[in-house]
Amino acid sequence: MRKICLALAAAAALTCALPLAAHHAVSAEFDSGKVVTLKGVVSKVEWVNPHIFVYFDAKDESGKVTTWRLQSLPPMFFKNSGLTKEKLLDGSESTVTAYPAKDGTDGFGFLLKLTYPDGHFYNLGGGTAPAPEPAK
Amino acid sequence: MEFRLAIHAVGAVSVGLAAALMVPVNAFGQAPNYGPPATSYAIEASRYPDAAAKPTPHLADGHPDLNGVWHHFFGGLVAKVGDNSFTLNFGQSVPTAKAGGAPAPQAKPDTDPEYKPQYAAKVKYLNDNQVKEDHTLHCMPPGVPRVGPPQQIVATAKQLVFLYADLTGNHWRVIPVNGHHSTNPEDEATYNGDSVARWDGDTLVVDVTKLTDDTWLADNGFLHSSKLHVTEKLRRVGDTIQYSMTADDPEVLVKPWTITRTLTLQSDTLGEMPPCVDNDAGHYVNSEHHDNVR
Repeated sequence: MRKICLALAAAAALTCALPLAAHHAVSAEFDSGKVVTLKGVVSKVEWVNPHIFVYFDAKDESGKVTTWRLQSLPPMFFKNSGLTKEKLLDGSESTVTAYPAKDGTDGFGFLLKLTYPDGHFYNLGGGTAPAPEPAK
Repeated sequence: MEFRLAIHAVGAVSVGLAAALMVPVNAFGQAPNYGPPATSYAIEASRYPDAAAKPTPHLADGHPDLNGVWHHFFGGLVAKVGDNSFTLNFGQSVPTAKAGGAPAPQAKPDTDPEYKPQYAAKVKYLNDNQVKEDHTLHCMPPGVPRVGPPQQIVATAKQLVFLYADLTGNHWRVIPVNGHHSTNPEDEATYNGDSVARWDGDTLVVDVTKLTDDTWLADNGFLHSSKLHVTEKLRRVGDTIQYSMTADDPEVLVKPWTITRTLTLQSDTLGEMPPCVDNDAGHYVNSEHHDNVR
């Protein structure tokens, strides 16, 4: 079931197991060399496989609103996170980071992180986060 | 896919690297500082460490009771941070009794099916072009055997229903005990095939024929022909099931291909999987890929 995985960092040879959001590499669609930062409100959520889509109404300094369509991970990845479609749609302002599309499609990106004014966040792109708490 | 779970570091790391270095990486090849990675099977097993030692329940007819939720497609990825924040953890460590405890045992990697030489080029082509060629990436069903072991079983003396909440949709099979394969020549080959079951002692043996050749045995281009014949075996041991699947395809394979899994009885419900919608097809700029979720 698991085969040899590719990695960037040295580690003990452990069997690699958890797959990523299916099929194409994210890099087949999105440019990880650029990060866009958007401020606004989530206006729509498609809670579908293999990727949920978060529609984000981003407001620029002039007040102009552009709706971004942001791809994220499968719904099952959010199990036990407390994050649901309803929670995303609670009308809160947030700051979002995303990778833009490689094919030049405007307003289409891969959602990395949502951060809210009180500091709470949902980090959906992986990366350096604290290790999980050991089981009690 | 179920039988080919893996992670590729994407971005800078080329698919040609055959490094035996394995760490959980995120979608862009960055390795977070998590513990050893684990499968959802291992996570499920770790929640019930004494499962196999439990007594094995039986139905009124004396056969082992296979009822239950035995596996979820996925889980265990959330790392909570404080009360209201979280990070999605692409390499979840199996919970251990204390920090620094031993990681959960890892299952042996699956072998690859062994193809006849005349099929090697086709398998390679399908693998290299899987972003386009793998129909499950476009929300088509994986079928048997690629859908994997049953995630929930509803069992009576006369029939079993196998249920799957899969990335591609919610699939089911109704399998008569001591039934017979259809002899109607008008019956089409299907994604889940024609299945009948019988008991061999305490092992349920499921025989599957009439499988469409539109599916793959597993990820990465592992095609099969319409001659594919699948045998699944399920043996309950306490609150676990030992599952094996053998794919016999004399047209394309040198010999039958077998994989095994250990399933652990879960205490929650299966849950319906949200619908699959192919929103990506028009946006790929290349064929970079990594293995599929299953």
